[in-house]
Parts: sequence; structure tokens; C-alpha cells
Amino acid sequence: MKLGGIKSVENAHDDSVWAVTWAPATATRPPLLLTGSLDETVRVWKSDELILERTNTGHCLGVASVAAHPLGSIAASSSLDSFIRVFDVDSNATIATLEAPPSEVWQMRFDPKGSILAVAGGGSASVNLWDTSTWELIATLSIPRVEGPKPTDKSGSKKFVLSVAWSPDGKRLACGSMDGTISVFDVPRAKFLHHLEGHFMPVRSLVYSPYDPRLLFSASDDGNVHMYDAEGKALVGTMSGHASWVLCVDVSPDGASIATGSSDRTVRLWDLTMRASVQTMSNHTDQVWGVAFRPPGGNDLRTGRLASVSDDKSISLYDYS
Amino acid sequence: MASVYIPVQNSEEEVRVNLDQLPRDASDILDILKAEQAPLDLWLIIAREYFKQGKVDQFRQILEEGSSPEIDDYYADIRYERIAILNALGAYYSYLGKIETKQREKEEHFILATQYYNKASRIDMHEPSTWVGKGQLLLAKGEVEQASAAFKIVLDGDRDNVPALLGQACVEFNRGRYSDSLELYKRALQVYPNCPAAVRLGIGLCRYKLGQFEKARQAFERVLQLDPENVEALVALAIMDLRTNEAVGIRKGMVKMQRAFEIYPYCAMALNYLANHFFFTGQHFLVEQLTETALAVTNHGPTKSHSYYNLARSYHSKGDYDKAGVYYMASVKEISKPHEFVFPYYGLGQVQIKLGDFRSALSNFEKVLEVYPDNCETLKALAYIYVQLGQTDKGQEFIRKATKIDPRDAQAFLELGELLILSDTGAALDAFKTARTLFKKGGEEVPIELLNNIGVLQFERGEFELAKQTFKEALGDGIWLSFFSETNKSSIDAATSTLQFKDMQLFHDLESNGHHIDVPWDKVTVLFNLGRLLEQLNESGTASILYRLILFKYPDYIDAYLRLAAIAKARNNILLSIELVNDALKVNDKCPNALSMLGELELKNDDWVKAKETLRAASDATDGKDSYATLSLGNWNYFAAVRNEKRNPKLEATHLEKAKELYTRVLIQHSANLYAANGAAVVFAEKGHFDVSKDIFTQVQEAASGSVFVQMPDVWINLAHVYFAQGNFTLAVKMYQNCLRKFYHNTDSQVLLYLARTHYEAEQWQDCIKTLQRAIHLAPSNYTLRFDAGVAMQKFSASTLQKAKRTADEVRATVAGLQNAVRIFSQLSAASNLHIHGFDEKKIDTHVGYCTHLLSAAKVHLEAAEREEQQIRERHELARQVALAEDARRKAEEQRKFQMERRKQEDEIKQVQQQEEHFKRVKEQWKSSTHSKRRERSDDEDGGGAGEKKRRKGGKKRKKDKHSKSRNDTEEMEADMMDEQEMEDDADMNEPQTQMNDVEENPHGLLAAAGLEDSDAEDEPVGPSSTISRRRQALSESDDDEPIMRQSSPVREYSADMQESDGEIRDEDKTHGDEASDEE
Repeated sequence: MKLGGIKSVENAHDDSVWAVTWAPATATRPPLLLTGSLDETVRVWKSDELILERTNTGHCLGVASVAAHPLGSIAASSSLDSFIRVFDVDSNATIATLEAPPSEVWQMRFDPKGSILAVAGGGSASVNLWDTSTWELIATLSIPRVEGPKPTDKSGSKKFVLSVAWSPDGKRLACGSMDGTISVFDVPRAKFLHHLEGHFMPVRSLVYSPYDPRLLFSASDDGNVHMYDAEGKALVGTMSGHASWVLCVDVSPDGASIATGSSDRTVRLWDLTMRASVQTMSNHTDQVWGVAFRPPGGNDLRTGRLASVSDDKSISLYDYS
Repeated sequence: MASVYIPVQNSEEEVRVNLDQLPRDASDILDILKAEQAPLDLWLIIAREYFKQGKVDQFRQILEEGSSPEIDDYYADIRYERIAILNALGAYYSYLGKIETKQREKEEHFILATQYYNKASRIDMHEPSTWVGKGQLLLAKGEVEQASAAFKIVLDGDRDNVPALLGQACVEFNRGRYSDSLELYKRALQVYPNCPAAVRLGIGLCRYKLGQFEKARQAFERVLQLDPENVEALVALAIMDLRTNEAVGIRKGMVKMQRAFEIYPYCAMALNYLANHFFFTGQHFLVEQLTETALAVTNHGPTKSHSYYNLARSYHSKGDYDKAGVYYMASVKEISKPHEFVFPYYGLGQVQIKLGDFRSALSNFEKVLEVYPDNCETLKALAYIYVQLGQTDKGQEFIRKATKIDPRDAQAFLELGELLILSDTGAALDAFKTARTLFKKGGEEVPIELLNNIGVLQFERGEFELAKQTFKEALGDGIWLSFFSETNKSSIDAATSTLQFKDMQLFHDLESNGHHIDVPWDKVTVLFNLGRLLEQLNESGTASILYRLILFKYPDYIDAYLRLAAIAKARNNILLSIELVNDALKVNDKCPNALSMLGELELKNDDWVKAKETLRAASDATDGKDSYATLSLGNWNYFAAVRNEKRNPKLEATHLEKAKELYTRVLIQHSANLYAANGAAVVFAEKGHFDVSKDIFTQVQEAASGSVFVQMPDVWINLAHVYFAQGNFTLAVKMYQNCLRKFYHNTDSQVLLYLARTHYEAEQWQDCIKTLQRAIHLAPSNYTLRFDAGVAMQKFSASTLQKAKRTADEVRATVAGLQNAVRIFSQLSAASNLHIHGFDEKKIDTHVGYCTHLLSAAKVHLEAAEREEQQIRERHELARQVALAEDARRKAEEQRKFQMERRKQEDEIKQVQQQEEHFKRVKEQWKSSTHSKRRERSDDEDGGGAGEKKRRKGGKKRKKDKHSKSRNDTEEMEADMMDEQEMEDDADMNEPQTQMNDVEENPHGLLAAAGLEDSDAEDEPVGPSSTISRRRQALSESDDDEPIMRQSSPVREYSADMQESDGEIRDEDKTHGDEASDEE
């Protein structure tokens, strides 16, 4: 497996690009790339040439997260002011504006069926689930307080939730927090299951393997990527190699490899059978905040694509084969 | 049976004397000889017979009687026999003199010999045999030239005189004219073909000296044919055999040598060679016996020297350097010129090096060098001595010469490399590499230490991949391969146990699976270094397995524990890290590195008292010589000083003073210690000496760039702080940004906060807000950042509104900013219901209230601005009318301003009065409160209630104000802004505490260096042991507070109400600060 650079857009935004996701192909168009930036906009790009399709304004602070509905027509973006804007990808019409104070909004993910939007709730130590038809809050999954930490450890009693990930069957939801623990929920029963231990620094990104509903990958500030058996509570493997924080992780549609982006300015490709880094892309000149594999589907999409975004205001597109 | 017949006087009879049965008492014979007046030749024959039988006394008795004046008279005309007797005596005494070892006796013998010869000469000046004898005597005395003259006299008379020929040959031999000597020997042989074997011996020796070894051998063999017992020939042949340097030759030579020894056990030469042989076979006992015998039997300087040398060598190899030194010295004393026999000088030099007498060794090796100017071993020895004497340059010069002379001497390159490590790592690396190539070319195994050194140097130069290759090469084949080679990775699932830092199950499993886990001792260091390298390459998982492998086999390897602890710490697993350090302390509870690290970890856990004790223990364990421990203590004091804020200036001063003292102590020990210099500069800055501290910081920064092991972001930050404090915001911003990029991968929200604050002070609001957003994005759970962002937005909006001229767009942006601020504050307000952030709801509410209030004001402004814009548009259409309108407007405005000013003044007076009242009330409250900190705190909590009341009042007032004219707002806004500013300053005061955590990260770094350096120390002079322990140190924000405090003082005068709220905020922030540091 290997990555080949296709195109990079310098100054794709006016400021740091913090979020990236693919809106899957619809009947009328191929997949689109959505990016969110500190410049308070969300931009829509046509692949493979990365032609700017549209610039969505409407946020008042930096856009920290973007998520796209699996059907490709709807997307959500959120900024540091904790508003979520749900919009039509093709028309940019606002569908809903969500907020659930006092919860903040960090990472967002639609579930594989597209009926729920999960939102990492920051300091509220919970994940909010929104119904995607009514846009109403249907559940709040709270992380129970951990027993017995030191009484002085004021933040330890609360988990600050940064990231969320859905299992491919949509039954499990994992969320990563500032203190490094990962919590796993049973979504249908709205129940907390257990913690996954191993990181002691913020877990900013999580992703489940598309084929194995038990296999979860986590990216942490400690510079490592962990592989967990999310059901068995076991750490299956560790992959180290980044020189600084690992900010984002995504798994390839074939499930054979993962890509990570790091503060060390590199994007790495990891072979999951070897559990080793097989390629390092260093075309970015600042922290890489997002990596996203293009979902399969649509026409002539046998070839894979990976997009990465960075603090250097640029977007890069790679061929994955 | 030989016998002589002494004719009986005056008769025909003869007395038959059986030569084999000569009477013991020579007097009997003498009586007969005298009585019968026997011919003098009989006397001589009998005397000679006695001599042959070894009865020297009888021999001398007869000859002395035969040379007495009485005989002279009686046999006056029998001249030849008389001369012969005298010559015999002369020769006898010459011989005695020659073999005599004591100088005085020797002289006496020679004098006697001379007397006899002179007497003989008096009888007949021209008698050749006398001259020959004289020549021999002179030879024995070493007067070669005179001996030659004597022989020449004879040879001039009879050029075939054999003894003279032999004598002259000997002279020429001694003169070193071997071919002349050979000619003379040959002539002697031609003249007298039956001459004794000794003549041929001479020929052999000459040929040997001339390098005609084959002919020499023939000559010696001929000697042995004639005289199988000829020791000299045997020895000479043996030496020739030995010189072949082949096993067969040596064996043959030894057989001959042994036979010579059996024939004549006192031949010093044979003894020496035998000793030499036994030295090489390691039979030192025999060496000593033989050489002692040799010394006893010879007087010949060079031979003795050789014997002493053998003896010394024997002791030398046994390690008895004192004795060896004595004998080398004895050997050297026997040598007049080093050119003759230089080996003992070399040996002596070696022994003196061993005994530490470098100066004497130096002179000895220099003597060797005179003889063999290109001898590499000597050059290397000299290089070593110069290094020991501290003259590294000279040492390098010599070793370089050695490598030039023999560019294939791997050992020399290795030594050169080791010398260069200290001064020039690049050149050292080159030398090491050459050595490696040479070892490989020579088919030798490259020493592990050499590879290790190359690896470390490459590591140091940042050539990580090369270093990795080198370390792997040094390690060779072994169990470790299964841990880091990718092909084997699947067979052992190492990854699963990477987190269990103390898990040895992996290795037990391997062993039970039949794998043999073997870690040779000489590879432990390389393994450790490879682990360090892997850490540097961010493969800490593999590194941890290597460390554990070391510990599995060598559970006492402290550094491996410490590295494991450092990895755990880097992953923020503090408890595990502490556990690992404690394991290390179990091995050695005095290990300063482990103690220092434990101290830092305890600090990180906010265990101040314990940390101080641990650090002190670390310092004590090294008698205060360990800079790191001292520095840590210094830092502890510094942070203790700033931790106390401004609450106890006395305590602060004490701590600062103590910190300064500790930094200075380190600087005295190691004047080049960057961290100590940095610390000292911080203290200077703390005291307000910015210029001094700036100088120091700049120097430290310059010095710190260049090595991978020295990473000092703190000095950049400190420098930026100084620029900031001096108001040079542009430079400060640049410095912060560079530091972020260079050291933190732009990930440090704390530095971003500094940056934001600089932007804030420079009134670059947009940059400030953007920077704060970045910080929030990096540290989402740090709510202080949001608060700051809110304040920045509020300040931005307020300042825009304050501007005399503003466009509608600006005002629109202001409105948006205010809305954001309101949202942020209300979010914080909501969050503070959920968490204990230390934010006071009311405080935030105040902000919210103020912002909404400002917002409504802004709307008015907006309308005005929009209207203005509209007007401008109209103006474009109707320029003149607009100009008129503007005039009118200006006038109207002026009037309004005038009115406003007046109203303002009135309001102010009113306010001041109100505030004075407040102040009085507050003062009363204060009086009741004591000065103890605890009380103050609870007071503040109580005061929170009071403050609340007051605030409500303030709120009311504000409400009232709101009803008053909008112009009035500006002023109140200003007041509030100051409040805010202070609030922010207070928020910033948390920084020193957060920073502490920063600093606590050090041991990781320290041990990164220390660990590796330790391993180097094991390898002798491997890496440059930069004793500078890594130290991070940051200047606190509090020096920045000083100007701000000043700034805030007018506010205090202004309103007592505000002062009250100040105290409150500070308290809040205090708790919040605690929390922040806990979070870390």
C-alpha cells in the first residue's frame, strides 16, 4: 500500500484548517470534500482537482469539526462557540442550528445508518445524540464518575470528551477524553459499558475498523496510536513513530491500513498487518489536524483517496492504493 | 701417556715426569727443575700443563719462579724462552683482567700484565709474540687503536704472523669493519690451515655481520665439525636458527642452544637467548634463573643489559611493575647509547606509564623515537602520555603521525578517534570509521566498543538512521532481533506488552518456548544506546522492550529503569513512572539520577514538601556536586518564591535569594552550565534587572543551539518575556512564535497564551483572539483561555467603539465580537455550574451584563455609523450640500462634546464621593480580618458575600447609568476595562504554576542525556560527557505583573468597590490556578 500526492492547495483557507471530511457521492454528483477552518468558514471542494465549490459562512469562531451524513446530502459543522450548523451540502441551506448548553461541541460523527449525530460534549463529560430527522436531542450518554481518584484531582473526576467514533454496526459508540481514557457505550440501550485504558494524554481522534466492529484505533497526544479490542477491553497493539501529538486518525475503506496526522507536520500511513509505519508524507509545514479517506461508492471509485488538512492553511489530496 | 724428561745435570740420566701425574705441590717440580737446571722450555711446558689441568696456582708459581731475576741471571742468554715465560704470564694476567668484574682488581691485573710484557720487551724489543701479547692486552682493555698499532708492528715484520693477523682481525671486527676483519681471518687461515676452530668462528661472525648468513652458517658448521663442543659456534648457529622465525627453525635453534648450555652452562649469550625463549613460552621461573646466572657470569655491558631486559620483561609481564622498572633501569644503565639496544627504554617507558610517572616515560619513549622515528607503537605511547599530561594537541599530533605512517593501523585510528571526541566529534567519527574499515579489511572482527562509539557519535550528530545501522551491526545476531526487525515481528507479539513496563512475561514466554535469551555483557551498553535512539525516533514501544530485556538479564541496570520511567512519564503515566524510579532506587537508594527524577515526579504530583526532601537527598548523595540536583533545588526555591505571589514579599525574597545562591553554586562548579545561567538570569529578571538578564539569556540561547541533546525552549521564552516586559512587543511575538515552532511543534497552549497576552498588550485584538482560539483548540479543557478570549473580544469591541472614527463594518464586527463574548461568558457561566473552575458566576455575569449593555450601545453606534455611511453616499451625489451639512454637524458635535465633558466631570465627582463611602465601609471590614493567610482566605469567602452585595449595588448603579446618556458609557467602560485588564492579569498569575509543570518535565530530558552519557562513561572515553544536565526553566509571568500592578493602582484609588472585587478575583483565580496545575 502506498500514498501518492495528487494535489495540494496552498492557502485553501485564510487561516489554519482544523477539520476535514468527505461528503459521500449522491446520485447527482461525486463525493465532495468539506473543510473547516479557524477563519470561521466551511469550504466545499470538488475532488480530484480540489476546485473550490463554495464557502459557507455563518460561524462566529473557528470551525473545529465537520461531519457528513452517510447519504452525502447533509453535513454538520461546529465551531468553538459550540453551535452546530446542519446544512444541505449542495445548496448550503441551513437545516438546523443545534446547541445543548452547557455542553460544548467538539468532534461530531453521524452514525453509519445516518439516523443519529453524535457530538462530543467537552466538559459536560457526555456525548449528545441528535435525531437526524427531527433534529432533537434524543439522548445524552454520560461518563460515570471514576471512583477513588485523589480528592485534590479536581479535573480527574470529570472526563472532558473530545472525540467520538461509531462502530460499523452502529451499536457501539466510543469517546476519547482529555485524560486519555476511552469510554465505550452501548447505544441502543444508552448504557455506559467500560473504559479502555492505556493513554494518559488527550485522545483527539478515534475510529473503528470498517470490518471488525471490535477493533478501535485511537490517536493521542502521547504520540502513539493504540489498537484496542473495544469489547474485550484489551490493548491489542501500539504503534509509535510520530514525534509529537497524534491529532487525527482515519482507517482506509479496505480496513488494511490507517492514516494519521500529527503535530510533527507529517501524515503517516500504517500497515495494519505489519503494525508499522510504511510511509511518511511531509508536505505540510505545520500541524496536521485532519486526515480523511474518501468513502467508497459512486462511479470509478475503485481507487482510494486521502485528504489531509493542516495549520499551514493548505489541503492535500493523495492517491491511496 | 705424555711425559717429559728432565735431564739430570752432569749425567745422561733423565727424570721422567708424567704430565698426567704432576705433583700437587708445584714446589716439588720446581725443586727438580732448579736443581737440574732444566731448560726453560721444560718449565714452560710443565706450567702450561698445570694450566690445562686448571691448576692455576701451580702454573703461576712455576712461571713466576721462571721469571725471577735469579733465573734471568742464570739463563741470561736464553732469551726466547725467558720472553715466552713472561708473555705467558702477561697473557694470563690479561685474561684475568678481562674476566674480572671488579674494576680495581681488573686494573691491577692489567697492570701486572703490562709489567710482564714490558719486561719481555726489554729482553727483545722485536719479539713478535710480545707485541701480539701486548695487542691482546690492549684489546682486552678496550684500547682498540693502540692494539691495532701493536699488531701492525708485528705484521709489518711478518705479514703472515697468525696471532697478529687474528688480533688485527679482532680489532677490525670491533671497529665494525667486518669485511677487513674477514680478509684478515681468511689470510690467517690460508697461512695456517690447521689453525683452531676459533678462526673459522671469527669468519662466521664476520660473514654474519656482513649479512652473508648462508656463508656464516657454513663457517659455524665447519667450526662444529672441528670442535663439536664449541659453544660460541653452537650459540651462533642457534641464534641464526631462531632468527628464521619459523617454528621449525626455532625448535632447531633451541635444541642447539640447549646443547650449548649443557656443554657450558655459563655462556651469557646462550643464557639470554634461552631466557628469551622461556619468556615467550611463559616459563617465568626459568627466565629468572637463567638471566640471573647470565648476569653472574658476564661482564659484557650489552649482554648484561640484555639479561636485565629479559628479567625486567618477565616481571613486567607478571605485572610486577616496580621490579620490572628496577631491572629496566639496570638494563638501560648498561647501555651507553640507546641506538645499541633500545628495547629496555620502551619497556621502562611502559612501566613508568603504568606507575604514573609520565614525565620519565615521556623521555624514554622519546629516546626510542630517536632510534625508530617511525615506530607507530612509540608514537601512540607518546600520544597517550601527552594526553595524560593534558597536552591534548601534542597527543593528537603524535597519533596523527602514527596514522599517517601506518594508514592501516586500525588501533591508531581508534585511539585518534577517542582523542578527538572531546574536541571535534566530526573528525573523531571519521577516525572511527577509518578504523572500522581497516578492521574489516584486515578480516578482523570490529570491536563492539568501536561500533558503539561510532553509533553514539552519529546519534549525536543527528544521523539517526546511520546510528541505528551501526548499533545493529554492533549487536549482531541475538534475541533482540526478534523485537525490532519487522520480519520477525509477527512471531512475537511484542506490542501487547509495550504498556506493561514492568512485564517480563514476554521473556519468560520466549524462554519456555525454547528460545534462549542471552545478552552478552559487552552488548548491554549498545542495547541501551539503541533504546535511546529508538526513543529519539519515537519508537518508544520497541525501546521499552529493549530496556526490559536488559533488566531481565541485568536487574541492576539502573539507567534502564530510569529510561522506562521517562517513557512512562512522557506518556503522562506518572504513577507508573514513580514506581519504576522506586525500582531503580531499590538497586541503589543513593543514585542521584533516580532521586532527582523522583523529585521531579513528586513535583509533578504537586507533592512539594516531599519533592524538596527527595531533591535534597539527591544533592546530598553527590555531596552537592551534582549540578542537576542543585539546579532542581534552585528551581524549587524559585517556584516557591513565585508561588507565593505577592502575599509574602519577605518569603519571596528569601526563596529568590536561596535560588540565586544555588544557581550561582552550580555556575561556580561548571561555569558553562546553561541551565544555571538561565536560572540566574531569571532571578535577575525577577528583580527587574532586565538588561542583565537579557544579556545572559541571549548568550545562553546562542550556546544552546547546536546539539541534539541540549534543548532549551525556556531560554527563548524567557527572552521573549524580557522583551515583553520592556515593551518590545514585536520582538517578543517573534520570539514566542519561533520557540513554539522550534520546540513544541506549535502545540504548547501556554506559550500561545503568552503570545496572546503580547498581542493584547500591543492592542492587536484580532491576532490576540485568533491566538486564543488556537490555544483553546489545543487545550479545550482550559476554560481560562475562553475567559481570556471573551475578555479580548470585549476589549476589542470597546476599543473600536471608543475610536473617534469608525466605519459601519468595524462596528458590525464589534457587534459580532460582543455577541461572541456574551456567548462565551454565558457558556462559562453555565459550565461553572457544572464544574469547579474557580470562576465566579457573578463575575462572569458581570461580564455578560456589561457586554450586553455594550451591545445595546453598539447598536446605537451601528445605526449612527450606518447613517453616517448613508450620508457619505449622499455626499457623493451632492458634494456641496454635504460639505455644508458636515460643517453644521461639526459645530453641533463640538457643542455636544462640551456639554458632555461638563456632565462627565459632574458625574465623576459624584462617583468619587460614593466610592469614598464604600471605601470607608470596606476599611472597617478589613480591620476585623487578621493577616493570616488562612483567615484572609476565609475572609475572602465571606467577603464574597459582601462583594456580592456590593456588586448588586454596583449593578444597580450601572442600571442607573444605563438610563443616563450613552456618552457616559465610555467612561465607565474604561473603568471596567481596567478591571478586566486586572482580571486578566490575575488569570495570568496562574501561569507560574502551570509553568511549574512545564519544568517538571525535565527529568525526561535530563535522563535522556544522562542516561546516554552514563552509558558512555562505561565505555571509557566514548561520548563527550557534557556534564551539563538538561534543565528547563521558565521565567514566570510575574515580572510582567509589576508594571501592571502599577497600572492598576489608580484603579484602586478610583473605587473601593473595585478593590474589593479585586481580592475576590484573585481568590478565584488562585483556586483556579490550583486546578490548572492539577489538570496538568
